[in-house]
Amino acid sequence: MTTPRTEKQATAATAPSTGRPRPGGRPPGQQRKRKKGGSNTPAARAVSALWFLTPLALLVVVWLVVVAITDPPLRVFPQVGDVLSALGDMWSSGELFDHLGASLRRMGIGAAIAILTALPFGIALGSSAALSAFFSPLLRFSVALAGIAWIPVATLWFGYGDKAVIFIVWNAMFFAITYNAMLGVRQIPTQLLRAARSMGTSRLRMFWEVLLPGALPSVVTGLRVGLGYGWRGLVAAEIIASNAGLGYALFQAQKYFQTDVIIASMVIIGVLWLLMDRLMLAPLEKRTVERWGMTGGRG
Amino acid sequence: MTALEITGLQKNYVDSYSGEEVTAIGDVSFSVNEGEFVSVLGPSGCGKTTVLNIVAGFVNLTEGEVVVDGQAVSGPGPDRGVVFQSHALFPWKTVLGNVVFGLRMKGVPRAERDAKGKEFLELVGLGGFEHKYPHELSGGMQQRLGVARVLANEPAVMLMDEPFASIDAQTRRKLQEDLTRIFEKRHPTVFFVTHDVDEAVFLSDRIVVLSKRPSRVREIVTVDLPRPREWRTALEMPEFREIANRVNELLVDDEGAAAGADKDPGGATDADGTAVAGV
Repeated sequence: MTTPRTEKQATAATAPSTGRPRPGGRPPGQQRKRKKGGSNTPAARAVSALWFLTPLALLVVVWLVVVAITDPPLRVFPQVGDVLSALGDMWSSGELFDHLGASLRRMGIGAAIAILTALPFGIALGSSAALSAFFSPLLRFSVALAGIAWIPVATLWFGYGDKAVIFIVWNAMFFAITYNAMLGVRQIPTQLLRAARSMGTSRLRMFWEVLLPGALPSVVTGLRVGLGYGWRGLVAAEIIASNAGLGYALFQAQKYFQTDVIIASMVIIGVLWLLMDRLMLAPLEKRTVERWGMTGGRG
Repeated sequence: MTALEITGLQKNYVDSYSGEEVTAIGDVSFSVNEGEFVSVLGPSGCGKTTVLNIVAGFVNLTEGEVVVDGQAVSGPGPDRGVVFQSHALFPWKTVLGNVVFGLRMKGVPRAERDAKGKEFLELVGLGGFEHKYPHELSGGMQQRLGVARVLANEPAVMLMDEPFASIDAQTRRKLQEDLTRIFEKRHPTVFFVTHDVDEAVFLSDRIVVLSKRPSRVREIVTVDLPRPREWRTALEMPEFREIANRVNELLVDDEGAAAGADKDPGGATDADGTAVAGV
């Protein structure tokens, strides 16, 4: 893929799973081989999970050691154990699930609306030079402002609550997905579009049949970047415009100097993002882009 | 009966760098009969691919007319199937999904189109590969799939744009024999663009030799070699060499004037710059 990637995509972390060499020739039929040494055996999965977790475990070790040596006051930085017990407290009081539920629901709704609006828009921009010429300056202008810069306006429009937060999530994701979908369509080889047109594909059907699948490598990148932006927007918006959610928990804890709760909330946010990437985006990529041999800039 | 009729075709375009108007195709007229195999051959950069793109409806013509099955061409359509040099298979569709694509667009019911798709996969020797994806096939197999995808659609004319140019020499010989066998069996109407003289002679009933830019029809050479044809015997026929030499002379005569015209034939001729909107 030639589209720019951001540091937020955690590509380095997922590289061992997505970058593994594919088994050369799969037999006809799409049944997964689970017996022999393919990429889907439990053993291979365990190895890839291990590679994935090692750097994170290392981080925890560094954290343990540094805090043990420097021994900062709890208000400045908590020890690993403090954070774990804060997590335990949040779990047993049910607070964790209230915040988690609120955040995930807003994220889900915002992301769904963003995907439903940005994909068609981005694909339309990619397939029409006139449309993209018209909207390009607006898109570029909006990228700088996307997400949290809209919080003040969002709270004025929607008040303090779910709607404002969902709006921010949508807004944060919209431009990344639009932009990458547009790039993806532009990267579809002309001959492929011509082949489809010469087989009688109507302009409407082009969307599902050619433009969307053809743009998918870039669309997946857009989803990655977009979801990352969405998470940041969510947390920021919850701090300001809400009375539940992980961002809110973070902010409340700061008021009472509960550094352990702050760090615990940050850990939850990070872990959620990793899970989302690994359980949703990576499988999506595997079943489509990789299965179709569309990785590595192949036409 | 005439399947494809090209009359007084002219193509001008504005060079995007110099801003000058260039005449790519001066005046080209010829026709292809139903069930006939006609190759278009010409010196590098003479615009033979542009002629094909105009017939396919990918590029607008400046003057003249292209009629397929009694209908003037305006834009791409399923009556003209195209086999591309780059294969242009859909990577996200299985082999079967690629073959039945056109039938699906036509609204042919699933059972019927799958049966037909399999029939044409057998024809090109891809039986048993239905559920593979294109990237799992070799270049030669990919191009056979490209041919099957067009034939399954049963177009009035099959347009082939240097389909074997990107394939290694040995596989190419094999593919040319396969194509001849398919042609002799099914007799589709074929419009074949190439820069390979032997290939044109081996495959064609007639060869349209174009001049250099602005291209005109220099001569139409009839190839009356017996069918079925295969390379081993064809190369031994004196008639084969005679025709090939004749065509070569026509090309060399012309090339002499255009010294240094050493551009990539596919790329140069495709630089028409004026694709039909949205294609």
